[in-house]
Amino acid sequence: MIKKFTRFFQNFFTRFFQKRKDLKLGLYGPPNGGKTTLANRICTDWLGQEMGAVSNIAHETREVQVKEHVEIQSKGKTLKFNLVDTPGIATKIDYEDFMKSGMQEDEAKERAKEATRGVVDSIKWLDDMDSVIIVLDATKDPYTQVNITIIGNLEARKIPVLIVANKIDLKKSDMKRLEAAFPQYKVLGISAKFGKNMDDFYEELFKLVK
Amino acid sequence: MPHQCVRCGKVYIDGSSEIIAGCTCGAKLFFFIKKEHLHKLQQLKKLSEEQKHMVMHDVYDLIGDEIDRDVPVVLDLESINIPEPGKYELDLVQLFKKNPLIYKVGEGKYVIDLAETFKTRKQL
Repeated sequence: MIKKFTRFFQNFFTRFFQKRKDLKLGLYGPPNGGKTTLANRICTDWLGQEMGAVSNIAHETREVQVKEHVEIQSKGKTLKFNLVDTPGIATKIDYEDFMKSGMQEDEAKERAKEATRGVVDSIKWLDDMDSVIIVLDATKDPYTQVNITIIGNLEARKIPVLIVANKIDLKKSDMKRLEAAFPQYKVLGISAKFGKNMDDFYEELFKLVK
Repeated sequence: MPHQCVRCGKVYIDGSSEIIAGCTCGAKLFFFIKKEHLHKLQQLKKLSEEQKHMVMHDVYDLIGDEIDRDVPVVLDLESINIPEPGKYELDLVQLFKKNPLIYKVGEGKYVIDLAETFKTRKQL
């Protein structure tokens, strides 16, 4: 009995005084949705520095990138988290697609291999996430296997999700189509590139991680 | 069920000593062939010797140092299909299920258990 009490108090005090684990906020989505552009926007707004390189060629981010201790403020409240930018998730990676963008064959094949490894890494990191922002291209069809698989798996893991419809500055963007595709989620239209709707986005972040 | 050598394509019946020791050509990777896939396997595009070597090199590169390259690797279901060097088809459902990571090459398929890599996940 005494042993049980001792163990109980030991556990209680260990938990109580343990340093709180940093919250991890993951950026997930298909390639070229604007995950790194959004990460850069957040980092530039709050840390004054960018996070990673962006490009028009898909699979520019091929390794998971982490920016620690990001602190944002909205309506007098402060939120601290580690921002995790992940490689785009795809079902098919073809070096010939990269060659169409002017890349040499060897370079394109290497990029394809690294992108494949990046997809596996993104999925591996998913369980470490406390909340996830899914970054979708608002000009593209949202009914894809990638989008549905990501959202379905986040739901199964009970990880809070915010869907961001990026690139709303473009004429081809269609918010209604995205909202109709995921009616059970909050879908927020932004332009990470031009900083459009970012105040709303930061406000939504507080709701997401509360 | 038969096993097929990834490099030379030689087929060994179940329980063959070569599956444990390695193929006579020196390769250590084998396809694990299910009956229902035998027909499909024959229809797949034939890769050149050079392409086969490239795919094997890429797969070893992708999986890193977790796999001992001197030990034969037994093959099963695929989660990543590599129909030819530089082309990858990913089965996201399998990957999200965290089933062992498996690579399949064009003229057949082979499986590599990457369970170890899931244990060595980087921590924040």
